[in-house]
Amino acid sequence: MRDVAVLGVGMHAFGKFEDKSVTDLCRTAVVAALADAGVSWREVEAVAAASSRFSGGKGWGLNGNDVVEDMGSTGIPVYNLSAGCSAGGNAFNIGTTLVASGLHDVVLVVGGEKMPKGFIQTSGVEEATDPEFLRQRCVGVSGPAFWAMLCRRRMEDHGTTEEHLARIAVKAHANSVHNPYARFRKPFTLEQVLKSPMVCFPLRLYEICPVSDGAAAALICSADFARKKTTKPVWVAASTVATARFDDGITRALAATSPSGPTLHSEARIGVEKAFERAGLGPRDLSLVELQDNTVYYELAFPEEWGLCAPGEAERLVEKGETGPTGKLPINPSGGFQSFGEATTAMGVFQVAELTWQLRGESGGRQVPHAKVGLGQTIGLGGNATAVILKT
Amino acid sequence: MKQRIPVIEGLFAERAEGPRLLGSRCATCATPYFPKSPVCHNPGCDESRMEDADFGPHGVLFSCAVQNYPPPPPAKYDEPYQPYALGMIDLAEGLRVLGRIASDDFSKLRGGLPVELIVDHLYHDPEGNDVVTWQFRPC
Repeated sequence: MRDVAVLGVGMHAFGKFEDKSVTDLCRTAVVAALADAGVSWREVEAVAAASSRFSGGKGWGLNGNDVVEDMGSTGIPVYNLSAGCSAGGNAFNIGTTLVASGLHDVVLVVGGEKMPKGFIQTSGVEEATDPEFLRQRCVGVSGPAFWAMLCRRRMEDHGTTEEHLARIAVKAHANSVHNPYARFRKPFTLEQVLKSPMVCFPLRLYEICPVSDGAAAALICSADFARKKTTKPVWVAASTVATARFDDGITRALAATSPSGPTLHSEARIGVEKAFERAGLGPRDLSLVELQDNTVYYELAFPEEWGLCAPGEAERLVEKGETGPTGKLPINPSGGFQSFGEATTAMGVFQVAELTWQLRGESGGRQVPHAKVGLGQTIGLGGNATAVILKT
Repeated sequence: MKQRIPVIEGLFAERAEGPRLLGSRCATCATPYFPKSPVCHNPGCDESRMEDADFGPHGVLFSCAVQNYPPPPPAKYDEPYQPYALGMIDLAEGLRVLGRIASDDFSKLRGGLPVELIVDHLYHDPEGNDVVTWQFRPC
């Protein structure tokens, strides 16, 4: 397989944009990524796009086709990838595979989404054969309630306090102050977070991510092509896709088998472990992590589940500020989903953009000093997951 | 006349010996399923041989949460909205199931708490019927 470089990235700011279509958001991101790479649209040989569940794509998830038509139809192949909230990471994986295999030299990866307001209504189908419908109708399990159950167990096992949870939100927004693409850019005090309304005990409003509109794009290419354009490309050390194991104890429907081991998102762990393996790198090599913080809980659980820190150590890192940009284990210097809101299918590409800026040293006030290796990670409905490791 | 009706047919039954969840189990590998599954999903199982199985009433709370904020559709609830507790319950049969926790004092709910299966009120439908679902009660 050939080396793959990230030559350019671009983003549309996240927020709520009632006067714009998802194609408008994607256009901004794509034009920025092309300009950043110094590549013209006519040089793009293929597109790998995240299939939006909620907007555009002609109602069939054909979001890559929307982008190609908008930019100018050149007859190139388009791959529309669907994987819930990990669709962006999935599209990035297919894009890198197209380049690594030698099939294409220049590929555009894009993800954009306009989300309906409020809690995500996952399926919209009211049928007894739909597990998500049964969860919500028979029990009343909202997304935040699911996260709250996992979080509550951690509080009992590791002594996590409500203040630990709030500190993570405060850190997220301290970072987002320095990110012009973030939706929420005001700093929060600990008191403000702890006084925000309880959504699902123990999780408060400012500790879970809302939904947003947004888009991100990445122009990736072969090593030969990259060297013609830049002396300092960012390299794809690994890109992986994984799905959940049968016995991890996570109740993705009404029930699961009681696990023999710890209860955790096996899909996320498999994706990250495979990424380390393929990159020939380990947790100690990481300069920063961009992980899927739908809720602050995951900033405690995921680093431990992936071996980035010892079990029960995450709270100590939070207390000491070690997950900030200048700490031992910088997590989500972008501000994360907490500060951006989740434009679901765009997020895997959003992470690639932030990692790229960090590795180039272009992240300003949220810059991780001397960033050399960055990990990105997403999970999505259906037990989907992706991981990506970029390096200088 | 107002009736007591299950939120979805075929998921639970109120038998003489008490309420039970209606699921299935693979006779080869003993993996339990709820709702019923037409096939065994255990990748380590050599032959899917599904049989109907009842689950409950005894379980242990793995973890719980409180739905302080009204959940989005398709969840349904009576007005005015009252927060409820819900949890992941490990049943004695090796099944981890989601369910409401019938409790007036959420502060007493902790992982490891023994619970038992009940069938209780979920919401009133537009005709005023008592729509019921499976729930768990600390015991």
